[in-house]
Amino acid sequence: MGQKISITNSNNTQDSRFLSFLKRFSPQKPSLDKNMSPRTGMFAKLTAPSANKPNDFTRLISNSISFASTRTKEYLLFKDPEGKFQPSLQTLTQVFLMNYITQSVNLDLTDTFNCTAMTPEQRILLGADWVWAILKKPTKNPKIQIAVQVLHLPEREEAEERATAGKPISESIQMAQMESRNKNMYERIVDFCTSIGKDCYALFLFFGKRDDKVNIYGVLSNNFEAAVGKCDKIDRALIENFFKGSRYFHTPFGMMQTIFTKKTEEALTLMIKFS
Amino acid sequence: MTALLSSPQSCLHPLRRQFERIMAATQDVKGKGEGGDQNFDYMFKLLIIGNSSVGKTSFLFRYADDAFTSAFVSTVGIDFKVKTVYKNDKRIKLQIWDTAGQERYRTITTAYYRGAMGFILMYDITNEESFGAVQDWSTQIKTYSWDNAQVVLAGNKCDMEEERVVSVDSGRLLAEQLGFEFFETSAKDNINVKQTFERLVDLICDKMSESLDTDPAVTTGAPTAKLTDSAPPLQQPGCNC
Ligand SMILES: Nc1nc2c(ncn2[C@@H]2O[C@H](COP(=O)(O)OP(=O)(O)O)[C@@H](O)[C@H]2O)c(=O)[nH]1
Ligand SMILES: [Mg+2]
Repeated sequence: MGQKISITNSNNTQDSRFLSFLKRFSPQKPSLDKNMSPRTGMFAKLTAPSANKPNDFTRLISNSISFASTRTKEYLLFKDPEGKFQPSLQTLTQVFLMNYITQSVNLDLTDTFNCTAMTPEQRILLGADWVWAILKKPTKNPKIQIAVQVLHLPEREEAEERATAGKPISESIQMAQMESRNKNMYERIVDFCTSIGKDCYALFLFFGKRDDKVNIYGVLSNNFEAAVGKCDKIDRALIENFFKGSRYFHTPFGMMQTIFTKKTEEALTLMIKFS
Repeated sequence: MTALLSSPQSCLHPLRRQFERIMAATQDVKGKGEGGDQNFDYMFKLLIIGNSSVGKTSFLFRYADDAFTSAFVSTVGIDFKVKTVYKNDKRIKLQIWDTAGQERYRTITTAYYRGAMGFILMYDITNEESFGAVQDWSTQIKTYSWDNAQVVLAGNKCDMEEERVVSVDSGRLLAEQLGFEFFETSAKDNINVKQTFERLVDLICDKMSESLDTDPAVTTGAPTAKLTDSAPPLQQPGCNC
């Protein structure tokens, strides 16, 4: 890591790609921040070394998350009119990650706020697709983590299950399934976060919600385990239930800001609209 | 689930109860006839532990994939890789768990100690702190794993002679005190990587045979496959670089 992609010394292809990247980085909600113009990304890059001010930093992270969400949203309802080409649901997760990672590398964020994609085995064992982490300097040990599990529309998940039923699974995947057979995917990510503590959040990222299939939403909490007491287990219905009680959705910026300013041992649960 | 996972356990070697308990967890995965590479006679769970950044993940990558990268990607929680080795015509499937060294992952990583038959406890010869932590890691093994788990102490990054702060002798001495085998290793230059795993497998096999020998009750009617026959000679523990 640590290579800086600067406007002046990278080659032409990189420049134009980078600039078109930034052009696409058009904020959905201009009112989000008055300092923000469509070119903020570039200026942010140019001033990145001084992004020590927590707010600039929070802004850069949340911009990258919003950017990835917006790009992913474009494909949420993709359907081949001939019905032959069916990208897997994993592809959508990959689109999100590719966009997020590219953006965060361009903005030089990775040494401070990193994104670790899980291996296929870890996805099963820990229930997470990727983990975001604020890193402590100089050890680069994680200080705050957000473990993310992507959820797709139920009808799409069912369709995919039908399509992959009976297909061979690799041996190590079978072993991972064996290891975690007593827990569902929701419980696994919550267990993982709970085992770490209140500075580890589980984020269920909904690529489409039942009543709004074209947008990306999330439920984030460091306190899902509290729900286990009330119901006997964590399942999709329990997580979706959080949306019912809530009219207010945070922006990605609001989410990051709340996480960064929260007191250490406090419980926190947020609903977020990402796209 | 597939047939492989649900296939009934047919011919597990009778072992001492502790082994049975550990093997029980692996029985369901043990299968026959699902395609060549899924046949195996034993499955050993191994764990690599030690401070963060001593080279645990790199060590496993070198062994399983024969690859090395100098980028440091801190492991999240736990992960594993599978590798099959052969010993006296027996196929041994190694399920090798890679753990994150940081304190925050202690709960999740120690949960995996219980089923492990062997440990590679790693420190970094260029990092005094990681060597100082060996004692604590050893206590963790004693606390969370079963009594007969075998341990090899590995002083990694022995390619970095210039930056060495832990001598071979202090490594060897500590290993002796703790009753562990010892190697200096390099994931980068591929020194003693295979040897470390092979030695650990030998130690586990020795222990298994010992159990069979000392507990004749469980061996009746069982094939007395001795995995220790023609064990390879001991490797040089030092790092020849
Ligand atoms: N020179 C040298 N560097 C190594 C060796 N093994 C690992 N490293 C480096 O040490 C850093 C940490 O390695 P990693 O395997 O991630 O450590 P872990 O935290 O214990 O899993 C990485 O930058 C590796 O490239 C080695 O044998 N020699
Ligand atoms: Mg690691």
